Amino acid sequence: MSAEGVGARLPRKEDDRLMRGRGQYVGDIRLPGMQDVAFVRSPLAHARIRAIHVPEAYRDRVFTAAGLDGVLPIRAVSGLPGFKVSEQPVLATGKVRQVGELVAMCLAPTRAEAEDIAASVVLDLEELPAIHDMLAAREPGSALVHEHWGDNVFLETLVDVDIAAAFDAPIQVSRTISTGRQCMAPIEGRGTVVQLDHRLDQLVVHTATQMPHIVRNGLSECLGLEQGRIRIVSPDVGGGFGYKAILLAEDVALCWLALRCGHPVRWLEDRREHLTANANCREHHYRITAYAERDGTLRGIDCEATVDSGAYSAYPFSACLEAAQVASILPGPYDFPSYRCRTWSVATNKCPILPYRGVARTGVCFALELVLDAVAREAGLPPEVVREKNLVRPEQMPFENITRKHFDSGDYPQALARALASIDVEAVRARQRAGEPDGRRIGLGLSIYCEQAAHGTSVYSGWGIPMVPGHEQVSARLTPDGGLELRVGAHSHGQGLETTLAQVAHEILGVPVARTRLVHGDTAMTPYSTGSWGSRVMVMAGGAVAAACEALRDRAVRIGAHLLQARPEECRFEGGHVVGPSGDVPLEAIARTWYRRPQDLAPDTDPGGLEVTAGYKPVRDSGTFSYAAHAAVVAVDPDLGAVEILDYVIVEDGGTLVNPLVVDGQIYGGLAQGVGTALFEEMRFDARGQPLASTFADYLLPGPAEVPMARIDHMETPSPYTRFGQKGIGEGGAIAPPAALANAINDALGALGVEMLHSPVTPRRIVEAVLAARTGPQQAREAA
Amino acid sequence: MSAALADPEAGRMALALTVNGRPLRVEAEPRSHLGDVLREGLNLTGTHLGCEHGVCGACTILLDGEPARACLTFAGACAGAAVTTVEGLDHDEVAAELRAAFNREHALQCGYCTPGMLVAARDLVLRLPEADERRIRVGLSGNLCRCTGYAGIVRAVTRVIADRRARGIAAQTGEGRALGPVGAGIGQGIGETIAEAVAAAPMSRPVPAVPVASADLDGTFAPAHRFTQGIELAHPPEAVFARFADIEAVAACLPGAVLAGRPAPDTVEGGLQVRIGPIAATFRGRARIARDEASLSGRVHGAGSDAGGRSATEGEIRYRVGPGAAPGTARVELDVGYTLTGPLAQFGRPGLVRDLAGRIAADFARNLDARLSGAAAPAPTGLNPLRLAFALVRARIAAWLGRA
Amino acid sequence: MKPAPFAWERPANLAALLERVATAPGSVKLIAGGQSLGPMLNLRLVEPDLVLDITGIPELRQARVEGETLVLGACVTHADIEDGRVPDLTGGALQRVASAIAYRPVRNRGTIGGSLVHADPAADWVNALTALGAAVEIAGRNGRRTLPLERFVTGALEVALEPGEILLAVRIPALPDGTAWGYVKHCAKIGEFAHAIGAVRIEPGAGRGRAVIGAVEGPPVLLADARPLFGGRIGADFAERFDPAAADAALRAAGMADAVERHVHVTVLARAVAQAARPNPLPLPEAA
Repeated sequence: MSAEGVGARLPRKEDDRLMRGRGQYVGDIRLPGMQDVAFVRSPLAHARIRAIHVPEAYRDRVFTAAGLDGVLPIRAVSGLPGFKVSEQPVLATGKVRQVGELVAMCLAPTRAEAEDIAASVVLDLEELPAIHDMLAAREPGSALVHEHWGDNVFLETLVDVDIAAAFDAPIQVSRTISTGRQCMAPIEGRGTVVQLDHRLDQLVVHTATQMPHIVRNGLSECLGLEQGRIRIVSPDVGGGFGYKAILLAEDVALCWLALRCGHPVRWLEDRREHLTANANCREHHYRITAYAERDGTLRGIDCEATVDSGAYSAYPFSACLEAAQVASILPGPYDFPSYRCRTWSVATNKCPILPYRGVARTGVCFALELVLDAVAREAGLPPEVVREKNLVRPEQMPFENITRKHFDSGDYPQALARALASIDVEAVRARQRAGEPDGRRIGLGLSIYCEQAAHGTSVYSGWGIPMVPGHEQVSARLTPDGGLELRVGAHSHGQGLETTLAQVAHEILGVPVARTRLVHGDTAMTPYSTGSWGSRVMVMAGGAVAAACEALRDRAVRIGAHLLQARPEECRFEGGHVVGPSGDVPLEAIARTWYRRPQDLAPDTDPGGLEVTAGYKPVRDSGTFSYAAHAAVVAVDPDLGAVEILDYVIVEDGGTLVNPLVVDGQIYGGLAQGVGTALFEEMRFDARGQPLASTFADYLLPGPAEVPMARIDHMETPSPYTRFGQKGIGEGGAIAPPAALANAINDALGALGVEMLHSPVTPRRIVEAVLAARTGPQQAREAA
Repeated sequence: MSAALADPEAGRMALALTVNGRPLRVEAEPRSHLGDVLREGLNLTGTHLGCEHGVCGACTILLDGEPARACLTFAGACAGAAVTTVEGLDHDEVAAELRAAFNREHALQCGYCTPGMLVAARDLVLRLPEADERRIRVGLSGNLCRCTGYAGIVRAVTRVIADRRARGIAAQTGEGRALGPVGAGIGQGIGETIAEAVAAAPMSRPVPAVPVASADLDGTFAPAHRFTQGIELAHPPEAVFARFADIEAVAACLPGAVLAGRPAPDTVEGGLQVRIGPIAATFRGRARIARDEASLSGRVHGAGSDAGGRSATEGEIRYRVGPGAAPGTARVELDVGYTLTGPLAQFGRPGLVRDLAGRIAADFARNLDARLSGAAAPAPTGLNPLRLAFALVRARIAAWLGRA
Repeated sequence: MKPAPFAWERPANLAALLERVATAPGSVKLIAGGQSLGPMLNLRLVEPDLVLDITGIPELRQARVEGETLVLGACVTHADIEDGRVPDLTGGALQRVASAIAYRPVRNRGTIGGSLVHADPAADWVNALTALGAAVEIAGRNGRRTLPLERFVTGALEVALEPGEILLAVRIPALPDGTAWGYVKHCAKIGEFAHAIGAVRIEPGAGRGRAVIGAVEGPPVLLADARPLFGGRIGADFAERFDPAAADAALRAAGMADAVERHVHVTVLARAVAQAARPNPLPLPEAA
């Protein structure tokens, strides 16, 4: 391993500009003549629009659906049988189906003035019954979000693998478990600046997105423009987490407006818009039963899972990805013989749901790991024993599980064992027995998951959604002075690709990381890619960078051999030099020759030169399986419900680590979001579908004092299917913490008769459950 | 001062600021906060906006050398101040040490929170006596990061503090600062002429001349919030119930309510103005009244919305008059339910509104008692008849960190 | 999220301010540090025609001791108190409250007077100063008056300022030697609004005490005579005599119907009592 290649713990090269305020985010873009947009949004969750009254003075600055000629609604259709299609109008027509839905677009020189105009527009709405509860929405007779459907279900799915065989198990534990609705809350909101390039007759769309090429697909479809007339530029992006992997109606509206006005237009999402109007995540409901032997061996899992998908199917992932994925991934890292899971993706009058870091896995892990702890209590076994009994074993690898997921590699029991050793179970149990002087109660919680990542064509073609990843492509170009430019269609918004992909290139070509430049986030300059999502970039773009650099290397060797007057077979490539029998020539000299002194090239030189576009897919495209065991120790104050995280251990197997510093950063960051899911973050709605938080004073994000300094331990079992053995790890940190922390809280409070089964586990919910348990254990269970 | 900075554009004010060491004359609307003044006016885009309500910390800058929220500092509040943004810390010694440590410890990912985080971290480095992890975490709590889990940030700040203290550089104590908000000059007035130029603007905003529609009152109503209140009145139940038939009289007892018309025998139009602290909610709409003579009970069901149709409310008061504790007295049981939609509803602290609703109900009881006793009708206080409103407001004014 | 337009004036002296407050047409809001009003303006929950910035007025930015009373001008900031730039007659009690308000950049501009006038039930000063027995000095064009804080804060976000009046200063009595003080707030996360506050000021020698249960829906629940919380008598053993049922009854009487809320508030008050009974002053609390 070189100091800068794959495996190097290299500080990031992108940091300096970001630390000096020289990053360029979408809100930082200044274009001559640019004007600001503010939207008039629906204040009601469900209503018929009777009229939109615009003051005479603002007639030419306010735009409604009536003027939006030629713009089609956003359609994210899944090909799964029975999927019902929603059409999300760019500006509302006829009806509004969620608070925050766009009704009118207001244009002014500044955002403040645009908001003045928006405030002067009067809406005449006829309120309709709001559908705010996904379980009630499934019932016959419920009001309908989309009348012509006849019900409120986007999609229902069923997987049944011999569940009846488990029905005679001696231990049967049933629970109702649910996770709160969340907002993804990157610190930078969405934003779009659109400019019409009259010379190229092209819309240049600067937008904070994780997937520029997919946004271009979607805009092209909605606007009826050929793709060549649209260029997407995603500049520095202030956090994504899935929130920026969706086509917004705002994006479409701004494009239409720029075409109409001819001058640049800008919309920057503010925090209230983010929290109340645009895309939520995570709201799952499970009725789950575990069947087991008395020794903890699982016989089967039976589950009904409902996901609140919101009013519309979000582009490109669709409204059903989350719930339907639940059915395929609920078995997690465990091996058992019987399984049934029925799922519903339900439409309600809320913002659309979209995949947030961890996607369905966080909810699935929460449901399964909590029910496993319930099995352990029922069987009188320590929680670790139930897991040891059922984890997929290393000798089973590669392993195909009950839902035909193909686990590529790993040693799951070892991850658990290392986590138990690191957290020091004996010491925790001793402290627990001894009791705390301040009356708090100690609890230990475990959670294990596996994260299928970078899965490709064979998996996504089955979903039939508007986006199916194929080969990932990268263009690599040596510059005339021997530097390297990498052009990738994926996007970096915190993941550090400017450094890590340069490390991959360095591994092949030996070009210093400082001399490799990453060009990304621009459809005009990069090969097509579905973008950055699904923990796929280091596997897919990393593999493609390697492939492109290898092709460049081979061409360089042929040029170098000619310069060394040797045959290519006699030469090798080493440390950035072509080394021949009688000497060596550096890459710089080869580049100089190709570009500046072509007269020195061999007559039969490869005319492709020193620029290569290469495509890559792993040997198997069913995905890498990274996994981790999390162990948490908490102290819970039963009277106030305060939870302090005393210790947190993560044993993670991400395969080969390209940059351990960056990998640790992903895990720490995921953990913080998991802590938010576990203890703080929830977007509640009232019975009229009103969101009950519109600021960070109501929607609580964990801060530095609430997130523990986790201890991370790496296992590095290489994936047999990827270029360097790397696995996707971007989301894992956010998957396990809600389950680990809830299990720890339940361990702490179990003796009081309390079992918390809903996230977030807030102080209020804990105190409610504790007080209910004091009046009777039966009531306690219901309260929890 | 305003003489030296003469003639700002209409609706704007002129300010002298020293930004990153350069004295500047800046023009801004009075409503522009410093974040927008820096970003939109001076193209200093390193100061990021993450929430614009003071919680996330991305916009933290230095005002007269001390950290402050740019998003909560309006242009006129810092006239004459020295502003330092992240762009002005290039050659700052502490910031340089922090940048090196942030890079080494991977203390940033997307970089969006980083400028504010560096400003806050710099302040901690200067003030904290020692590198205590807990105090560093608590001290950075006003800055949210969504990427790093704070691990690298805390490590970086810890190292820089430890290094500096090891080099014998002591913590600063903040002595010698003038009392009062940082950035606010003492004894410097600005503004009368500007005020006159701007004051007209809010009044001249166009409003479409359309009637505001309100919810249909035919359906059943399931309120989001409900409370009951009992009133003891020193009058016989029948007299009290008779009074409830006089809707004008009842409305006069409800603070802030004004009747505008009676389009049908059982329907009234009008409104109610409600104030919660600085927030004034004004609703117009209609109400329908039903009475049951036999049971001495009744129901008022109303709905209304504000001028833009953005916030709307629906409310219901059910009452039942019964005998009071003493002979010849009455007890009125009020069952009040209300629902609010729109921006005023979208907060998570309903208790503030329950307090208000309780106070309105208490005032109502007092006024009703006075009226039954023959006292003069209470005057609706300070109500502009054009700004009528109806019903009870449920608002949670996330009163922000509690700290004016 | 930008405010509706408003005019901005910054009077240079108190007389000019009082004149303007009394005569300005339209809706007028006073602003000090702007840490509470600022968000409301940005969210357009408040749309005044004129904002009067009171931070330029020298009288409001002074602190002085009058006998056994500390007088803090309305524009003294939380950070001024935290850093010890004002005199202290409370054995560090004020400093500890100040340093745990919100976050440092907020404390650098947020003021004690602004916080009291804003009167959020969950805010620190409203509760701590009520327990300490503070009063406010109010000024109008026609003169000045003083009100005990418990009569100043009349409801959630409601205070007893008449039109044309402003809050000039806060008068905080000393905590004499031998006075026990406890202040505890309960938040889900650092810097967040309190879910419950308990504050006690107890003079075991004199057999007197005040207690406040705060962060309730309305103004703080004040027990100006806290003896019922201690079985009717306050002595050196007050901590052992604390009676949660009496506190619970007080909250019931104050209209707090929710049993979980009452339990949390009683617990927090009990912890404030326990803190007051500790012999040594605490170190500075965790402050963001």
